Amino acid sequence: MIDDPNQPQKPILDEPPPILGTWPRVYVFVLIYLAIVIFAFYLFTIHFRP
Amino acid sequence: MTPIDWVVLFAWLIFLVSYGLWRGRGSNTVDKFLLAGKTMPWWAMGLSIMATQASAITFISTPGQAYTDGMRFVQFYFGLPIAMVILSATAVPIFHRAKVYTAYEYLEKRFDAKTRSLVTLTFLISRCAQSGVALAAPSIVLSVILGWPFQFTTIAMGALVILYTASGGIKAVTYADVQQMAVIFSALVLALIIAISLLPADISFVDAVRLAGAAGKLNAVETKFDWNDRYTLWTGLIGSTFLMLSYFGTDQSQVQRYLTGKSIGQSRLSLLFNAVAKVPMQFFILFIGAMVFVFFLFVKPPLVFHPLQMQQLAATAEYPSLEARHTKAFDDRQTAARHYKDAHDPVARAAAVAEFRSAQQAMDSAHRDAIKLTHENDTNYIFLSFVTHYLPRGIIGLVLGVIFTAAMSAISGEINSLATVTVIDVYRRHFKRDASDRHYLYASRVATIFWGSYAIVFATIFGRGFGALIEAVNLVGSYFYGTMLGVFVLAFFVKRVGGTAAFIGAIAGEAAIVAASKLTNMAFLWWNVVGCVVVIVVALAISYATERESTETGLPVGS
Repeated sequence: MIDDPNQPQKPILDEPPPILGTWPRVYVFVLIYLAIVIFAFYLFTIHFRP
Repeated sequence: MTPIDWVVLFAWLIFLVSYGLWRGRGSNTVDKFLLAGKTMPWWAMGLSIMATQASAITFISTPGQAYTDGMRFVQFYFGLPIAMVILSATAVPIFHRAKVYTAYEYLEKRFDAKTRSLVTLTFLISRCAQSGVALAAPSIVLSVILGWPFQFTTIAMGALVILYTASGGIKAVTYADVQQMAVIFSALVLALIIAISLLPADISFVDAVRLAGAAGKLNAVETKFDWNDRYTLWTGLIGSTFLMLSYFGTDQSQVQRYLTGKSIGQSRLSLLFNAVAKVPMQFFILFIGAMVFVFFLFVKPPLVFHPLQMQQLAATAEYPSLEARHTKAFDDRQTAARHYKDAHDPVARAAAVAEFRSAQQAMDSAHRDAIKLTHENDTNYIFLSFVTHYLPRGIIGLVLGVIFTAAMSAISGEINSLATVTVIDVYRRHFKRDASDRHYLYASRVATIFWGSYAIVFATIFGRGFGALIEAVNLVGSYFYGTMLGVFVLAFFVKRVGGTAAFIGAIAGEAAIVAASKLTNMAFLWWNVVGCVVVIVVALAISYATERESTETGLPVGS
């Protein structure tokens, strides 16, 4: 039921990430990954520029 | 299209719809229909988010974009991983803990009913037009390629989407998306392999990449700053971050995907999966376009890729001279490409590049003159022309089937979210507050059928012969996203701002976006930044002003 107070509410689970231990570490990993990808694309661009 | 292509095309369509119906069975409560009972694993949500965003027209036109403009469009996605990290840390836990069906429901909990209603209205206006476009745009292209009547393509796609979306709800939509993404990846890899294998025997893969670079097609990163250039590193990192925050953080078609997660962690993982996978995927699709360009260095492309426009062009008096210019320029460009490949010193390479550019300009000039006669840009037909003329039998049917279902995925996401907002934020909030679960489930299905039918009617009426309208409607989202983002930033981070301040800030933000679009040449990605910043600044100013006033008068602060 929508918003039925008599229905049992499912608990909101907030488990740790499967890798790197904490979520902030995962976020830092993703941002470093983005920086590496952009740098790799930059090298790709200048390497094949005529 | 050979018989085997038709068999593959129809088999794929039947499989996908049947699979969606099968996976969506048991969606017999509102919670299951709209949020899949919050049982979805991260990988299914992640692929579904990706599929919803990658509409068919994106899939069709992205390789064409690399063919004409190079790979710099990839920078548009640089803001996506940043946005995903911010949303994983903020919006995901907030929405989950608020136990809401829609992002806009949260705004009433945080602000008030009028702010929720304003943002709901904003979403409905922007999305209802886009749902028609999401159906019309690929229908036009596929009807031209398959030779089917436009109305038939539109109604067939729309009806199939309504069937599995109204029946199985978001679970059917999500699992259909998963299958589709798997096949899209396979089709793209096949297209790249075939494009490379069809090159002349003396052109290796490395030669092909060097030729694409010499032609300026591998310009993946451009570091210069220009307010008016829509694809640079800076528009990607700043403007696109705001756009992606708005799209994934405030647009119900995306928020609803990660609200189906069985935990906050699973929803976070679905977004972070996109953060990692999306940029390389777009790079890969654009790289296919660059390789298709190299393929057409050695195989003469048509003067115009749009098959029907090409037929009309061939009947004009100007055609023979245009075709002669095109053929001469193609021969010169091919010769220059071979000179570049065989050049071993910088001087010879520079001479070959100059020769190549001169021939390319001549080809572009002939193409521009042809487009002036046909009055329609043919970028969307470049990749499909390659697919239908040069891919092996069976693969053509598969690729066209993938494009069909990519369109269906985007449309199903649109109508599913429109139906959810209609029922939760409009019908239940303003018309019938205490009905049974069964009643709201029925209303959700009716709303799904309504929005699906609306998309079909909109596409059928406005889709044909209104190319400019389609382009205009595609910009509609950018008119609203900045404002919506500003309101949610206030809701998440600025506790002092109340409902009235947020409401007035939203109206001011919208006015600023309209002014920026009408009075400046600013690239549209920056509108999102402008709208968001104005909403926040105006709401904060009102909040401070009313606080001072309330301190003086003794009345409550903010709203």
